[in-house]
Amino acid sequence: MAETHTTQEMTSLERISTALQYQKPDRTPVAPLFCGASHRVLGITYDTWSQNAELATKSLLAAHEIIGFDAFVTLVDLSVEAADFGQEVIFPKNSTGYPNFNNFLLKNADDYGKVKYVDPRKSKRMKSVIDICGGLAQARGHDTGVIGFIYGPLGVLSQMRGHEDLFKDLIRRPDRVLEAVDTITDSLVEFATAQIQAGAHSVCIDPLYSSASILKKETWERFEGPFCKRIADAIRDAGGLVTMHNCGNGVYFDAIIKWLNPVAISHAHPAYGCKTWEEHAAVWGNKVVSMGYSDPATTGLEMTPEEIIEDCRTQIETFSGCNGGFILSTGCEFPPNGNLLSAIAMIKAGKIHGVYR
Amino acid sequence: MPREKEELFKDLKNAVVEMDEDQVVVLANQVIEESVDAFEAIDQGLAKGMERAGQLFEEEEYFIPELLMCSDAMYTGLDILKPHLKPTTEGKKQKVVIGVVEGDTHDIGKNLVRIMLETSGFEITDLGRDVPPARFVDTAREISADIIALSTLMTTTMDGMQEVVRLLEKQDVRNQFKVIVGGGPISAAFAKRIGADGYASNAAEAVKLTKTLLA
Repeated sequence: MAETHTTQEMTSLERISTALQYQKPDRTPVAPLFCGASHRVLGITYDTWSQNAELATKSLLAAHEIIGFDAFVTLVDLSVEAADFGQEVIFPKNSTGYPNFNNFLLKNADDYGKVKYVDPRKSKRMKSVIDICGGLAQARGHDTGVIGFIYGPLGVLSQMRGHEDLFKDLIRRPDRVLEAVDTITDSLVEFATAQIQAGAHSVCIDPLYSSASILKKETWERFEGPFCKRIADAIRDAGGLVTMHNCGNGVYFDAIIKWLNPVAISHAHPAYGCKTWEEHAAVWGNKVVSMGYSDPATTGLEMTPEEIIEDCRTQIETFSGCNGGFILSTGCEFPPNGNLLSAIAMIKAGKIHGVYR
Repeated sequence: MPREKEELFKDLKNAVVEMDEDQVVVLANQVIEESVDAFEAIDQGLAKGMERAGQLFEEEEYFIPELLMCSDAMYTGLDILKPHLKPTTEGKKQKVVIGVVEGDTHDIGKNLVRIMLETSGFEITDLGRDVPPARFVDTAREISADIIALSTLMTTTMDGMQEVVRLLEKQDVRNQFKVIVGGGPISAAFAKRIGADGYASNAAEAVKLTKTLLA
């Protein structure tokens, strides 16, 4: 990489902030979405990690100490919000928590009315995430990015109704779905605000269905776009930055920017309409900062550290024309069972190949 | 083919494509009332409709909700017509055992593959979600399956796929079945590493892969 040369090493927070402003930091920031995998650093089980904010915070801090990533992301699992709305959640000892698929809260389309406003600050699991944000911010918020996390309202609803039934209800009972999404959004607005107030610098919204692998763009815009905008506006009103994650194939970048206007998008595949990463970088790389795009499974479970460093070099070079606006990351959460040395290799790649001179 | 029957099949196809379950019920009952061959109605009507829905899915006219609605319409028609199939009208179908590996309950991808394979003429045994490796092997042996199709969305459960291959080898029956894998974290490289016969990135690809492997 050529161009400017920075003699003084930045803090992680400075590095991330600079990249988000399309200015060149000392080197490419690296944030491999290292979340659930941190339970193994502290030596606790996944179910404990998922339900104990204090231990989760300690785990993430310990992982940060070992790995040295530039930002924390407080993704616990995708059932956090749904659990507080009353959905039964199963917590496997060594894997991610998930809703009981045999006991959805919303058993038919008439049940959407069961979704009632929940105050995140008085809830169990959302409060836990708020506390994790607070703990991380207190410990490392001065020098490391703290990115909170919220599952999009339609995603939250799917955790209570089941994906297939929800998707069919979008066609059969759109008004009932929209009512529930609206109520969920009220809670998510507060959830986002509380994370920023607890000290998170940003909250990452995950509107999982905003890609061509799931919904037509117009369908997503109808059922989640305006609701995500309310959450994004609340994040900005609270003084935070809006980031967005979607690991689906063919994310609708234009619609995401229209409704969320995030400073960065964490993604695993090129945007809808782009066939290659090179095309993506050329079309979108200077419009919104990309966080990506290591394949989590191959990075965490397959590749050697040397292969990872080479893979990351390619990614950094792909986005080298974006004036610093790129964050090296996995395209989705780093595998909870992944090799910690692989995450360290990503950080090393940033130091070797990501220096802006 | 008489004009009326042709029209009836076309209407059945269109009802599936238009996600109109009520109309499928009316038309399927008409098939029975008019003593039209049920197999032909399934083959030329319902299956053609689902085939068209699959095309629209590939062309990004339809997405997952629309495809699910079409499949509901198709299955509604199948429920009505299947009891009226003559035993001799169905030839031997190639068999697929499909499921989501143990520890994982995400099944929408698996369901889409099942629907597309079923409408492409394969006989499907769907073991559902959270399926232990031994159950895939036992079922495949019991029904003399041709394909074992494994799905997972989670990295923590990927190893279950390798365990299925290991069990097949251990029982010395690996060469009796083709094993295909798919799901969010799965790749062609992973499939190769665990000794699977193929990987598909989506439902349409899974159908092509299955046909290729069994050709």
